[in-house]
Amino acid sequence: MSFSTTAAPACGPIPARAGIGLRFPHHRAVAETRPAIAWLEVHTENYLGGGATPAWLDTIRRDYPISCHGVGLSLGTAEGLDRDHLARIGRAVERFAPALVSEHLSWSIAGGRYLADLLPLPMTEEALAVVCRNVNETQEFLRRRILVENPSSYLRYRHSTIPEWEFLAAVAARTGCGVLCDVNNIYVSAQNHGWDASAYLAALPSAAIGEIHLAGHAVRRLDNGAVLRIDDHGSRVAPTVWTLYAEALDRFGLVPTLIEWDTDIPPLATLLDEAHTAQALLDRCGRKAGHADAA
Amino acid sequence: MPTLRELQRNVAHSLIAGDDAAAAMDVVADGLVPVARLAVYRNTVIASLTTALRLSYPTVHRLVGAAFFESAAQLFLAAQPPHGACLDDYDLAFAGFLADFAPAAAIPYLAGVARLDWAANRALHAPDTEGLDPARLAAVAAADEPHLRFVPHPSVELVRADHPVDAIWRAVLAQDDAAMAAIELDEGPVFLLVRRTTDGPMIARLAPAAWRFTASLCAGRTLEDAIATAGQVDTATLLAGHLIDGVFTDFAVDEGGGRQPREDLS
Repeated sequence: MSFSTTAAPACGPIPARAGIGLRFPHHRAVAETRPAIAWLEVHTENYLGGGATPAWLDTIRRDYPISCHGVGLSLGTAEGLDRDHLARIGRAVERFAPALVSEHLSWSIAGGRYLADLLPLPMTEEALAVVCRNVNETQEFLRRRILVENPSSYLRYRHSTIPEWEFLAAVAARTGCGVLCDVNNIYVSAQNHGWDASAYLAALPSAAIGEIHLAGHAVRRLDNGAVLRIDDHGSRVAPTVWTLYAEALDRFGLVPTLIEWDTDIPPLATLLDEAHTAQALLDRCGRKAGHADAA
Repeated sequence: MPTLRELQRNVAHSLIAGDDAAAAMDVVADGLVPVARLAVYRNTVIASLTTALRLSYPTVHRLVGAAFFESAAQLFLAAQPPHGACLDDYDLAFAGFLADFAPAAAIPYLAGVARLDWAANRALHAPDTEGLDPARLAAVAAADEPHLRFVPHPSVELVRADHPVDAIWRAVLAQDDAAMAAIELDEGPVFLLVRRTTDGPMIARLAPAAWRFTASLCAGRTLEDAIATAGQVDTATLLAGHLIDGVFTDFAVDEGGGRQPREDLS
């Protein structure tokens, strides 16, 4: 595949500012009202066909830097990547020329069956080798660096030997990929598994952090009284996650930050309001850095 | 210790078939039994795939109601899980599943409506391809015209149903009870051409002969063959209309000149 004909990114790189996830209900509002937001991210799999849906993105990308965030590549699949799907992703990347391309540290395909969820991997040397092989294959095919996102999870495997933060850092070190640090996922997994969220952040390679995700999560009380946090992207960012986000900015510096919302999608104004909160924290971090430089 | 491949197959079996025995052995309990942890994922997998089916089959969903749709979708997912993240072909399998689904037999037109839902959804998302420029056809010699084969636009689908499913489809989606009540279920079969226009999916009713002609061309038969299949109908006018509507994207002159598709000649 030749990428010489790739459309130039209309709006340059993703700025270290707050963006929002673009979902179907807001296509028209974004295209017609052009809200003041620094950048947008889409789920790549929703724009692989033809017709009106990708045509909206053709229009919108003229005004906003775009990030393509995949949910179907299954980077953790032992049996190897679905090359047809990778080719479809490649065509979308060619069409929309996104400034960032990302996927997840998870799996969703086994035995030729697709499980429409981001499933957790055992943290083993074997899984690490599989993920690195699949990330390398993706980056070679797309001829660009991708970001890989830490998952939220509700179970751990008995034979895991590597802490998730070390696993993710090793993937970045071995493949040269960047890290998409989902602060809400870190909080959810830390609560569910008894991890130290701050230690998780501290273990990530600062230079590899290319993007931060923020979203709401649900607190579910199960029959036996146990509490599980569920990453449902269906509400505002929790106050505790905002606190952890501020800590992440202190550690990583200014990083492009995305508000995600996928369940019970609210009016665009609500998303912009959440992005405004993230931007205020980014601005505060920028001022702190400025003071430090001046000192 | 299972290999990654074994573990993933065990978890997939747990989430799809509901058999946790193998997968649960590999999951840490830690305050919550492994089957409860696996159930969290199973709920998400079923909900995601059911939502995908509901978006592809909005008319079926309204006709049977949410509870019936969800139980049918769950049985379908367990029997025929999807193979990849691209669910287009998978969606078609659900229409076939509903056609044989005994609890749906009380709604004799459901399978036809499902087929139409699928075709309309496919028309919505089919790849973008330029329509065939009719001027290109002008360069074809008259002697070659019988041997023309056409390539249909990816959004084009021919649907034949035993009931007036196009009228049902429109009435249900518009939630127009009066229109629904006025439908004569026994008016006989309908012959439909589904394609994408700039306004979205369009469903046109064709006469049986016109439908046979169009279906033959879309199946890659020669113009000569399609005319023979159609019988008494003005095929020249039909073909011109299809060209204007962008039903076809390309053509080739069948150099073999035979009456069979080329692959049958080899």
